[in-house]
Amino acid sequence: MQITPSDLGLIARAVGLTKRYGSAANPVTALDDVSLGLRRGEFTAIMGPSGSGKSTLMHLLAGLDQATSGQVWLGDTDITELPDAALTVLRRRRIGFVFQSFNLVPTLDVEANILLPFELDGRKPSGIERAWIDELVDALGLRARLRHRPHELSGGQQQRVAIARALATKPDLLFADEPTGNLDSRTGREVLALLADAAKTHGQSIAMVTHDPVAASFADRILYLSDGRIVRDSVRSTPEEISSYMLAMEAAA
Amino acid sequence: MNGRLRDHGSTLLVASLASGFGVLLLQVTGILGAVVLADDTTGSSATVKTMLDVVALVFVAIAVYVAAVTTANTVATIVAGRTRVIALLRLIGSSARTQRATIAREGLVVGLVGAVLGALVGTAAAWGIGAVGVATEQIPAFEYSYWTPVLLVPMVAVVLTTWLSAWTGSRRVLAVRPAEALGSSGEQSAEELGRRTGRTATGVTLIVLGVLALAGGVLVGLVHPAGVLVGVVGGILSFTGVVLVADRIMPAVLRAVGRWFGTTPPARLAAENAVRNPERSTRMTIGLVIGVTLVTMFAVTMETYRDAMYAVMEGQENVEAMLGPVIDGTVAVFSVLVGFSALIAAVGLVNTLSVSVLQRTREIGLLRALGFDRRQVRVMILAEAAALTVAATLTGLVLGFVYGWAGAQAMLGSMTGEPALLAPAVPWVVLAIIVVAAAALTALASLAPARRAGRVSPVVALAVE
Repeated sequence: MQITPSDLGLIARAVGLTKRYGSAANPVTALDDVSLGLRRGEFTAIMGPSGSGKSTLMHLLAGLDQATSGQVWLGDTDITELPDAALTVLRRRRIGFVFQSFNLVPTLDVEANILLPFELDGRKPSGIERAWIDELVDALGLRARLRHRPHELSGGQQQRVAIARALATKPDLLFADEPTGNLDSRTGREVLALLADAAKTHGQSIAMVTHDPVAASFADRILYLSDGRIVRDSVRSTPEEISSYMLAMEAAA
Repeated sequence: MNGRLRDHGSTLLVASLASGFGVLLLQVTGILGAVVLADDTTGSSATVKTMLDVVALVFVAIAVYVAAVTTANTVATIVAGRTRVIALLRLIGSSARTQRATIAREGLVVGLVGAVLGALVGTAAAWGIGAVGVATEQIPAFEYSYWTPVLLVPMVAVVLTTWLSAWTGSRRVLAVRPAEALGSSGEQSAEELGRRTGRTATGVTLIVLGVLALAGGVLVGLVHPAGVLVGVVGGILSFTGVVLVADRIMPAVLRAVGRWFGTTPPARLAAENAVRNPERSTRMTIGLVIGVTLVTMFAVTMETYRDAMYAVMEGQENVEAMLGPVIDGTVAVFSVLVGFSALIAAVGLVNTLSVSVLQRTREIGLLRALGFDRRQVRVMILAEAAALTVAATLTGLVLGFVYGWAGAQAMLGSMTGEPALLAPAVPWVVLAIIVVAAAALTALASLAPARRAGRVSPVVALAVE
């Protein structure tokens, strides 16, 4: 009998993940034999300087890109070899995304953006889901904005809409890619606090890619990447600790 | 400059088509004139030649107008895509005026090349038609120089309108802020409604006057066929008005048409996409509206005329045999001549849709990341193309029917000696051709962009520029 990822309390797991770009003669290794497990209900930050492979790792974990070798599970589903159609349905139902910018469909208003994952699934939110969405809308302060288009919102408001959409389906795992990269530091901290709260209060599993020590300090766990490898796996840290480790890492490189 | 000129491939095609069409038409008219001259028994060939030229120039004017609208739209779309580059040049210190003048100059060059290219192709085609005509003994041998000053009319018109359209279409350059080079700004939905009240007021006035004249024409037509002349004035006035206020009409029609496609996410997004830039959508569709209106109008008038004649001449067997081919032939020639303008508009629509989908790559990546599958993305693009062509075709059909019936009524209402109301006849063949052409255009316009959009990887939505 095999041990499944969920037996281990993991929401996502990767084994021997390698990604190479470029030609066979001149390959560029973005990710080099990475194995990891993301724990259910935890807010994990994936830290690293530019070019460390953190975005590539996220693309592979989210089924947005194909690995050169290695395996990826989301929950107990092996997504490594899933065809595009199945991956699409998986993204709809079991994964949430918050990007750095351009998170929202510009032609849809706030409410339609939040409900888009349900519509894509060809269904209306159930009563329980509806109540959850209402709760999110109020908690994120979007009640007065439901009829607005994205271009009428500030950057912070847009990120909150993206978070509401990502949390609405209660996905297995929420991926956030530099979610505060385009925000001023105060708005950024508000957004991070919202993510941390979703993990703490609602047990939402979150994987956040960032190079900002302040952002990473909101996470329960921090994975450091350098040159396509995980070089450190640490518990919650202060921004100062994270910064000094990053600086030491750069000095060693 | 070379790379920048490559953006203008579609404008070059449009300019060449307009110039080529104009020159071909005038050359063929010239050949016909020469043939008539060689066989002049009535001494009226000079009058005939002038009349033919005037008729030809009317068609040329329609084609050049549609080409100008199409070019303005293409240039506006190109400018939208070049925003970052323009902003960067502004940041370095280039003035907005210089930037705009550069684009206008590109338009001038493209217009010149297109006009000459079109003239050469048009003349070659006319020479070919003449040669084939003589070889098959359809027409007698004729003397014709293939050069008359009137040929300069379409050529100069194409150069000037392409230049002017590039200038008009590049208006947004003035609004590009240097700071846009810095931020990773996604596409802004630039809704530039309003500030057009003067134009709208003129348009509405023309429509009201035109409709009154049209109604007057129908009333006069009940007692005298001269009513049609009043009607023609009304038609020209009101249709000019419709074109002027098209930026108010077409978005509404597009919204209504978009609603028919249902409420699935691809359909809803397609409906929104079709009107996300109302000005662009209006210019994409107005050329088709003009073409479909004119073809429908003429076909309805002629069909109603045919029905009326058959009704009056009932029992005379040779009437149908004589009149039928003449009517069919006239409708066919007129449809081809007007259809050419629709072809120019179609080139613009295909190109603009393709470019605007290209400019939306990131948004499509976002949709893919959120769970749109490839098929839904393709359906979305197809539905957007369909919304545009269906809206244009429907508007054209409705207008064409109204004008066609009014024309026939004004002309034939007094035919039996006492006032009579005519039922508009439906030209089924022409209708079928229009519908098939619209469907083909939808498929053609959406084929390449839909395939490209379907291949967009969700990763592009995450890419930080």
